[in-house]
Amino acid sequence: MSTPLRRLQQAPRHLLVCEKGHARHERSRHAAHVRDHAYNCRVSVLIPECGVLPQVLKSAVADLGEYYVVRGLSVHQLVAHEFIESFVRKGSCYALAYNTRIDQDNTAALLPSGKLILSVDKDTYEELGLQGHPSRYSGKKPMRYIITIDLTDSNFHPDGKKHKRVLWALKEKKPLEFDFLLAWYNSGAEGSTLMSYFSKNQIQTLKPKVTFSTLRDLQCPVLQSNELQGKPEESCSTEELFEWLGAVLNQVNLDNVSSSFLSTYCCPQPNTIVDQAFLCTITGFIIPEKIIQLLEQLCCYFGEPKLAQWLTLTVHGFADSPVSWRENEHGFHKGGENLYNFVIFRNLDYWLQMALGTNDDCPP
Amino acid sequence: RLCVQVGAALPVDVLAYEEKSLCAVLRVISGGLVKLWSALTLQGFYQNRRCAFRVLQTSPFLLALAGNSRELVLD
Repeated sequence: MSTPLRRLQQAPRHLLVCEKGHARHERSRHAAHVRDHAYNCRVSVLIPECGVLPQVLKSAVADLGEYYVVRGLSVHQLVAHEFIESFVRKGSCYALAYNTRIDQDNTAALLPSGKLILSVDKDTYEELGLQGHPSRYSGKKPMRYIITIDLTDSNFHPDGKKHKRVLWALKEKKPLEFDFLLAWYNSGAEGSTLMSYFSKNQIQTLKPKVTFSTLRDLQCPVLQSNELQGKPEESCSTEELFEWLGAVLNQVNLDNVSSSFLSTYCCPQPNTIVDQAFLCTITGFIIPEKIIQLLEQLCCYFGEPKLAQWLTLTVHGFADSPVSWRENEHGFHKGGENLYNFVIFRNLDYWLQMALGTNDDCPP
Repeated sequence: RLCVQVGAALPVDVLAYEEKSLCAVLRVISGGLVKLWSALTLQGFYQNRRCAFRVLQTSPFLLALAGNSRELVLD
């Protein structure tokens, strides 16, 4: 009788890890962490003591690139030899099934490394007949399976048995079709675009949506880059900063008293009030290469003397993505969160906070 | 009635409320999530008027609520 009641009290596991580094250090892994997180739906930049879009960010925000929505795209088209040669092997190709739920539906994703990830239910897995493994978060009786196909593997050529089997499974045995979000990053070289390649499909070009706002009289926590745990009376901890940032982006009132009936949330102490803070929000299918460019420009922001002591860059991943960082399996559970946040200080020290939910592995 | 009694004993913060969309952000301790969620689900009347609560997103991280890819609308 007591065990079920105790289970009600237990909180589902979640992870928040924080890494400190310096952006100009040769072994800094800030770019690697961004690159490893393939699918991003929202990027927010918060700059205290700033009222308008800074000059250094203008070009990065204008050049966010395009992404595509292809409706009713069959997965076997991503396995076609021509597609692999034109896009997967040249540059970085990203694809993610849109409007599928990782805890209910089949879903597919293509990583820039050339790995095609299929996350399917038990019936689909058995019908497909391709080799995979049970989902880590499926429980005692596996109801979900993950199939990983390396499209750039030397054995995966059009004449090979492997390719023929995969093509047959996806084209004839159990055709899978999704609406896909697609993006292709190819620095420099000319080549055919996704638009012309999928011209026979229902393809639409989109640009990430960008909005700006200026927040007035904002209470901001005082931070010291060396003090991740915070120092009493001197600076706030990384967790307090993370929660405060959530409050700001959700327009939560920061000024409550502990005896208030409605809300007891307060800005962590010590804090200062800034006259204005600039908030830029980008939504869409945003690729890591563009986020790295943004990050670089944000580091350049402190190239000139600024009032701000620090600024933040927050990136939200897709809740229904089959992977979080690299090829780590990602599940939804109750939230599907996979997000990270950079705090960049004036001296270019940074904090990188990575947050994951219950059905997730520890980030690299 | 259990949920009503439990709700009275569980501190819940209404962190934000937007009248236009009738959306709110609530905060509760982890051990209270299931109780709060079921209390909201079972709440069908308020002051003799029918009502329903729909949970859009939950997370141990407030920051995660700022971005919901399930609500992402493309042009």
